[in-house]
Amino acid sequence: MLVQQLVNGLVVGSVYALFAVGYTLVFGVLDILNLAHAAIFMVAAFTTYALVSVGVPLWLAFIGGCALAGVVGIALDRVAFAPLRKRNAGTLIPLISSIGVSIIIGAIARGIWGIDEKHFPVALGDAPPIHLGGITVTAVELVTFGAAIALMLGLSYVLRATALGRNIRAVAEDRIAAVLLGVDLEKTIVMTFFIASALGGAAGILTGLQYNSVTVDMGAGIELKGLAVIILGGMGSITGAVVGGFILGAVETLSVAYISSNWRDAIAFGVMFLILVVRPRGLFGKRALRAA
Amino acid sequence: MRTYLSLAVLAAFALTAPAFAAGKSPAAGKTLKVGVIADVTGGAGVYGTPQKNAYELAGEDIKSGLIDTGGVLLTFDVQDAASDGNQVATLMQKFITDGSAVVLGPTLSGEAKKADPIAVKANFPVVGTSTTADGITSLGPCVYRVALSEAQVIPTTVKKTQASWKYKTAAIIYGDDNAFTKTNGDIFKEQLENAVVQIVATETFHQKDVDFQAQLTKIKEKKPDVIVIGALAPEGVKIIAQARKLGYTGHLMGGNGLNSPTIYNDAGPGAAGTAVGAGWYIGANYTGNKAFVARYKKRFGGDPDQFAAQAYAGAEVIAAVAKRGATTPAEICSGLKTLPLAQTVLGPIGFDVNRDVKSAPVILQIIKGGFAYFK
Repeated sequence: MLVQQLVNGLVVGSVYALFAVGYTLVFGVLDILNLAHAAIFMVAAFTTYALVSVGVPLWLAFIGGCALAGVVGIALDRVAFAPLRKRNAGTLIPLISSIGVSIIIGAIARGIWGIDEKHFPVALGDAPPIHLGGITVTAVELVTFGAAIALMLGLSYVLRATALGRNIRAVAEDRIAAVLLGVDLEKTIVMTFFIASALGGAAGILTGLQYNSVTVDMGAGIELKGLAVIILGGMGSITGAVVGGFILGAVETLSVAYISSNWRDAIAFGVMFLILVVRPRGLFGKRALRAA
Repeated sequence: MRTYLSLAVLAAFALTAPAFAAGKSPAAGKTLKVGVIADVTGGAGVYGTPQKNAYELAGEDIKSGLIDTGGVLLTFDVQDAASDGNQVATLMQKFITDGSAVVLGPTLSGEAKKADPIAVKANFPVVGTSTTADGITSLGPCVYRVALSEAQVIPTTVKKTQASWKYKTAAIIYGDDNAFTKTNGDIFKEQLENAVVQIVATETFHQKDVDFQAQLTKIKEKKPDVIVIGALAPEGVKIIAQARKLGYTGHLMGGNGLNSPTIYNDAGPGAAGTAVGAGWYIGANYTGNKAFVARYKKRFGGDPDQFAAQAYAGAEVIAAVAKRGATTPAEICSGLKTLPLAQTVLGPIGFDVNRDVKSAPVILQIIKGGFAYFK
């Protein structure tokens, strides 16, 4: 049972991690919490569902969903954050602004797609489960895990080895110095929002596919967990978000397996609390993004 | 003179005609406004929306005469509680004071426990159509429900399924943060213990959870003959699909929450055979049921679920009470108490001394693309 439960935890954790990576990327660059990240998670899942429903191949719909999530992220920045940034509004006001946008996105989605749960018409989830020894995994779980890992590795590559990545890290390190060195601040922020939102969107699509369920409030469940994960990992730390996501997935699963499902969330958040008591700045400190 | 006589005859006819037209009803010509509290949006929107649809249909059927109100102009003021307990309480307060004569709703048992006491204080009648948890009708002397409670359905479910499946061990998985699913889990546990079934695992989850694999992996290890699911449809469908995915091949059963088209449409082929104890069967031959299903499908583009059927039955019950002359809160309260069996889409129903509906539970089984009576 332990191995099966670890596999369950890894799959759940990979989605938590992917969601949290986008969340923390924006925080690392702008020092703001984007509480509309969960709404973008939902929009991407619905977009992919809508595209697949009209016959678009799943892989293309996946890219379409991520791309639209990225565009919504840019629009979010232009509407909710950029005007406040120009007025040096601090970090709390953008927080409220992002909550407002999140509610508006939810209302629009409800108007377009209604409140009923939607299911992908493709038969990805119908593929027979794969049994390896005592472990059972489905194709969609393997795809979820693989895609999440690939996207996180891709982000790591972009941040480490590309000009855009260097600009993002420079802005995260010191915005004024980066501008003085010739970094186009607004362009870098726009690209940061695009990447972060596309990754959050990918997490939404994978969640929708894995459970074959897309609903307007599907982001509610992951919003608080994502926030907990990025605090646990260290605000702004990509590595921390990844590790934190997997820790949360594993602790949730193992607490059900070996303690009690009644206590799952209490134990998961209790463990995170204990880690933060020992390391108040999270597992990977506050500014690990700069060294990413 | 003849002209005056003719006018007098015409005037007398005009004055008495509505009474003749409405038959013998003592209530003809009166109006009755029904306040409806339904979670059309928010987390419970999937249950409140079919309820709203059902009241719309009932309103149209009253206008067209399909539902007989004895000439009473019966209208439904459907208000969205947005799955917010505070809003439910506010709406209850509103209906008590805005000229409404009775409230149908709210959608969830937990909401009823919060809002019904407000109505009880004002001696205002409330009829729940989907509040099936324990302790709802005992909130006050004028709190009724047309939905069979879990306590009325589950004993028969356990009895019938055990007689057929001969199970000796069971595992229970239920939502512990919702009055309905918690009651479901508790009553199944009690009934299984009464039936000398060994409960090998008890697992819980929360509403809106999507991943149940940790709980189900643990349950599968214990090899129960049957897994009992105390869930509403969105979680139930995933529990069934994930249990089968993990290779569980035993029996599955649940309560009212699984009586939804979602279960047979979305849980996959592994759902076939799942037993569902319920208060309504979409294919039942009761007077008006099949016509209701057909009209609902035509009007809203999909099969009604139990939430819709019970809401429609709630409207039929109020129409029956109105037909007997009750149009004020006090009259409706006593009218519900003395109501003989009313014909509804749930079958002929009345109320027992505890104000719970008197109606027979149905035990269903999922077949390909629908439900059938359990065999």
